[in-house]
Amino acid sequence: MTLADAVQDMTVAEEDVLRADLYDLLAALLAKPPTRDLIDRVAKLDGDDGELGRAIRALTSLARATTEATAEREFNRLFIGAARGELLPYASYYMTGFLHEKPLAVLRNDMAQRSIERAPNVFEPEDNIASLCEMMAGLILGRFGEPETLAGQKDFFSAHIAPWAGHFFADLEAAKGSLLYAPVGAIGRAFMEIEREAFRMEA
Amino acid sequence: MSDDKAATSRRDFLKLASVTAPAVAVVAVTGAETAEAAAVEGSGGYRRTEHVEKYLESARF
Repeated sequence: MTLADAVQDMTVAEEDVLRADLYDLLAALLAKPPTRDLIDRVAKLDGDDGELGRAIRALTSLARATTEATAEREFNRLFIGAARGELLPYASYYMTGFLHEKPLAVLRNDMAQRSIERAPNVFEPEDNIASLCEMMAGLILGRFGEPETLAGQKDFFSAHIAPWAGHFFADLEAAKGSLLYAPVGAIGRAFMEIEREAFRMEA
Repeated sequence: MSDDKAATSRRDFLKLASVTAPAVAVVAVTGAETAEAAAVEGSGGYRRTEHVEKYLESARF
């Protein structure tokens, strides 16, 4: 391996930083009701004419028209509810029909091997979509140690995200309670397809 | 070399798929937001006394 190769390996490629940014954006929107600050920053995004770009622009225009209170009501209706929200964004739920199932156990083992820990004040199962997006961003950027290789990212994505996240985002896009979050679903769905395709190219 | 070719086509694919589109603003968006899922704030109408903390700790599974 030449010195140039070694230097290349140490920095994260630009397109991967941008993937991580998109994962971080999805995580921020799906972890909790969006703050005024997040809504304002989302309102400044832009996209091109591709499927992903159009979804981002749809989100942007809705963000410009939404208030923090409206966004919180929508988030609660979608994900919290009285006993449950309209949607249950958990790998276990989508993959087995129940919460706290084998996918969560498999994820916890994987997290332990990768030195990823649940934050101390969080009581939600780790196999929720926001945490998984956050983990992907962290693996790409090296927040848990060295930046993960593409092969390692692909393993994580294939095991914990690929089987269900596309379906979840499609459900989010079509959910009765979705307004601001409909384009979030569209963004997620388009991005999952892109990730799947891009990982295939690394075969 | 085949490695370089594969890497280039993946990069091109990502550019084409416009993962690059939200770049500038997204970096600003995610700045300090370490978005850990659903951190429990004391907004539910109870105070986080030591008693409550102990219960929450015992409820972790």
